[in-house]
Amino acid sequence: MYRYDEFDAAFVGERVTQFSDQVRRRIAGELTEEQFRPLRLMNGLYLQLHAYMLRIAVPYGTLSARQMRMLAHVARTYDRGYGHFTTRQNIQFNWPKLRDVPAILSDLASVEMHSIQTSGNCVRNVTVDQFAGAAADEIIDPRPVAEIIRQWSSLHPEFIYLPRKFKIAMTGSPNDRAAVKFHDIGLMAQTNREGAVGWAVYVGGGLGRTPMVGKLINGFVAHEHLLAYLESILRVYNRYGRRDNKFKARIKILVHEEGLENFKGQVEQEFAEIRGGVLTLPLEELDRIEAYFAEPDYADHGVVAIDVEREKILDPAFGRFLENNTFPHKRAGYSAVTISLKPIGGAPGDATAEQMEAVADLAERYSFDELRVSHEQNLVLPHVALTDLRAVYDGLAAAGLADANAGEITDMITCPGLDYCALANARSIPIAQDISRRFAAPERAREIGKLKIKISGCINACGHHHVGHIGILGVEKKGTELYQITVGGDGSEDAAVGKILGPGFVADEVPNAIERLVDAYIAERSDPGETFIAAYRRLGDAPFKEALYGNG
Amino acid sequence: MALASPIIAEPKHDKLRQLGIVALNGMYDEMDAEGVLKQAVEDLLPGSIALVSSFGADSAVLLHLVSKVDPGLPVYFLETGKHFPQTLAYVETLKAHLGLSNVIALHPDADIRRFDPDGTLWETDPDSCCYLRKTEPLEGVLDGYGGWVTGRKRFQTAERGVLPHFELTSDDRIKVNPLAYFTHEDIEAYKAKHGLPQHPLYEAGYKSIGCAPCTSAVAEGEDPRAGRWRGRDKRECGIHFDFNGSIARPVSQASLTLFKDGAVRTDPWKAWTEDDTAEEARYTHVPLAVFRDYRDVFLASPHPIGLRVDPGDRVEDVAEDLDRFSSIAINFPAFTDGRGYSSARLLRERFGYAGELRGVGDVLTDQIPFMRRCGIDALVVTNAATRKALESNALAEVAHYYQPVGARREVPAGTRPFLRRPEPRVTASARSDT
Ligand code: SF4
Ligand code: SF4
Repeated sequence: MYRYDEFDAAFVGERVTQFSDQVRRRIAGELTEEQFRPLRLMNGLYLQLHAYMLRIAVPYGTLSARQMRMLAHVARTYDRGYGHFTTRQNIQFNWPKLRDVPAILSDLASVEMHSIQTSGNCVRNVTVDQFAGAAADEIIDPRPVAEIIRQWSSLHPEFIYLPRKFKIAMTGSPNDRAAVKFHDIGLMAQTNREGAVGWAVYVGGGLGRTPMVGKLINGFVAHEHLLAYLESILRVYNRYGRRDNKFKARIKILVHEEGLENFKGQVEQEFAEIRGGVLTLPLEELDRIEAYFAEPDYADHGVVAIDVEREKILDPAFGRFLENNTFPHKRAGYSAVTISLKPIGGAPGDATAEQMEAVADLAERYSFDELRVSHEQNLVLPHVALTDLRAVYDGLAAAGLADANAGEITDMITCPGLDYCALANARSIPIAQDISRRFAAPERAREIGKLKIKISGCINACGHHHVGHIGILGVEKKGTELYQITVGGDGSEDAAVGKILGPGFVADEVPNAIERLVDAYIAERSDPGETFIAAYRRLGDAPFKEALYGNG
Repeated sequence: MALASPIIAEPKHDKLRQLGIVALNGMYDEMDAEGVLKQAVEDLLPGSIALVSSFGADSAVLLHLVSKVDPGLPVYFLETGKHFPQTLAYVETLKAHLGLSNVIALHPDADIRRFDPDGTLWETDPDSCCYLRKTEPLEGVLDGYGGWVTGRKRFQTAERGVLPHFELTSDDRIKVNPLAYFTHEDIEAYKAKHGLPQHPLYEAGYKSIGCAPCTSAVAEGEDPRAGRWRGRDKRECGIHFDFNGSIARPVSQASLTLFKDGAVRTDPWKAWTEDDTAEEARYTHVPLAVFRDYRDVFLASPHPIGLRVDPGDRVEDVAEDLDRFSSIAINFPAFTDGRGYSSARLLRERFGYAGELRGVGDVLTDQIPFMRRCGIDALVVTNAATRKALESNALAEVAHYYQPVGARREVPAGTRPFLRRPEPRVTASARSDT
């Protein structure tokens, strides 16, 4: 894992001092809320419905046990005993007091964490595949490059007041688990003809009110030129992105309005100017950073055969856990384990201080002190020996974290919605809870298989509803909360935006509507192995539309 | 045409001080010049009074009085770099003759070369020349004193006969005019009586002597000052300071808005207005679009001009002409509009613009470090708190940088290739020694 050197520590320390002073000036009334706003946003502090919300970066979703314990400490000391993991691989605390924020930030700094640029119109925390460094299918661990991008974009003087927020996502695997095509910039590892690894660059993807799939702007950018290429894109965006209308300010609109070719021309022209300049990444620097992410000291367990079917008979819950919550590891004898933060009927992404501590203990004992936060709002123990799976499961069960629903219908992404968010049109957490209760039975969930439901409380789409196989969007019509249902979205490498098939539903009807969609799928699928999204692609809208609205 | 004349807020005078001045004048109306000066230096403003002398044709009288009262009194001399050699020699003569031990020469800012590269600014724009050579060097000095001694006399003023011994300036300083009641004849008599050395050019017909290029001899019977700026519509030297010894308009704090090289200073530049014309504009930040429309006229004009870059302007469009601008103002109409940062970097890093690059508009403490890193080296600051933070060098800055930006003020930090630190700051005190 990346470790701060003196320079990083001093940087974060100074930042804490600076923000503490800004908080002091705000409390003393020297700064108006209007002046304070962009400053607090740049430090991840939002003003929500009831209170301030502090968002803390988990760079590329990687955490150590010590850091997780500090998050638990913050939750317990300054909040109401829990935190909320987000789709941006961050953690949010919903109830801190403004006067405590400097103390929180300095506690976090002591474990090399910060809240810099977790909001505001700047380059946000870089997100990556949650299985980075562990996944069997990856070409390269994207985290060293993600760390370099984090450094380059931290308080970048030119790009601190962009037209709008800017999100970069990376995947080192061709199977995209980081939804890179739905980010302002998406980077996908690529091998060129000479066998060198570099990056395919996608630009202008995004969700929100105008969902767009990112477009390939450059098929291969070598590591050493990546920063210059990113700077070129950012510069063109900073200069020409729209600032007249907040809803048209994301880079996707610029790319869309200019046209990819035009936009690309401007970027390439800029790149031609700065290519090979100060931003050229020396490969020794990449090596140096890579050393921090060196593979852990795996033990040689040889071939360990786990008979999942047998385990399912002996202990169905554990069997299900093995089936759903483990992911193929690049190293024989190991597995990456997903810890579901989606208990049936619970608030997706929430974890209590005690749970965080339990997870930290397990990471220390069984996963080389490493943890991940996934953009699907779960946690991951990335390197668990197969022989330790039972112990890990038991530990999770004791902490109430052994839900074996990863990737299943109840593993939903949900934004905070009307319960917390000032922008919301509708509640989203209670909807998720209703659906999760409806599909609580393990057999039923298993029969349905892989199905991603994503819920947003408004068009800002923090719950990524556009890319849910089934998406749910809260809207407000004539004073009532309505839920629009979309079908066919996909955040993976086969990126697609879900389609609205008809009018919305009131909250009570949502679980029924979902159930009808699911029934239609089961009735129509070619075989039990055909997933919901595959069936939708084959069958088109018709059967699903009929399921939702009857045939008339 | 007047140079940028900052609006000076007239501070309300302290009533008591106002009354005090009236009383002082009453008490000392009868006193002679030496008594007035002694009173001012010893009782009224001990340690906090100074004078500015031109070492001109009739400076010797006042300086002689000074030598009798306190030869160590600070005497400032504006070394414009444009004086007659005879004047410089005269400074030495008087110093030696009168035993003045504290004559301080004030030089223009090193920056002057930028505005007046070949030393001919007096020809095209004497107001600006005086501003840069006299007003500006005096500014910092003015603040340090509670009062000033001037050599003004009643017979020289427009409203003859009303000049008192003591005056209160608009910024609450005391001006002392020991020679107020002296006539022309009194001066001559005094010089003769005390055998004071004459300015070497006096006999050659120079009655009022300033900088060489702007002084000519006057004919017998002509107004002594007719020789200054002969043939030009200019009487006073500089806006704030009359070279002959009167403080015309003391610099008010309100006009100090430009922060540069570690200090706040008055701003010689002004914004382009509807009434400006391409032919006449000088010390004006011309909007980029206007510059392009009248490019030929601006290029032909002899005056110093600047450029204003608004968000959305393409600096590429003037890349060829950057040498023409003595100052470029990057406008940040709202601090959340970050386009200016790109413009600044392009100007500095891509197009090699090396002149003054200033941030104007919504300039707040928290954005200044970013502006500086993008190459902005001067700031027009209207926010009082920001100005205070700048002056006390108390900007909350994260002084560790992760990304090289090619700005000139940064040095690499350690062995990591991208890391930068700010270059040690040039402080105001270090500069004034130069
Ligand atoms: S999608 Fe809307 S309601 Fe949900 S968190 Fe985002 S802004 Fe708030
Ligand atoms: S008197 Fe003439 S030379 Fe001297 S500063 Fe003024 S304009 Fe320049």
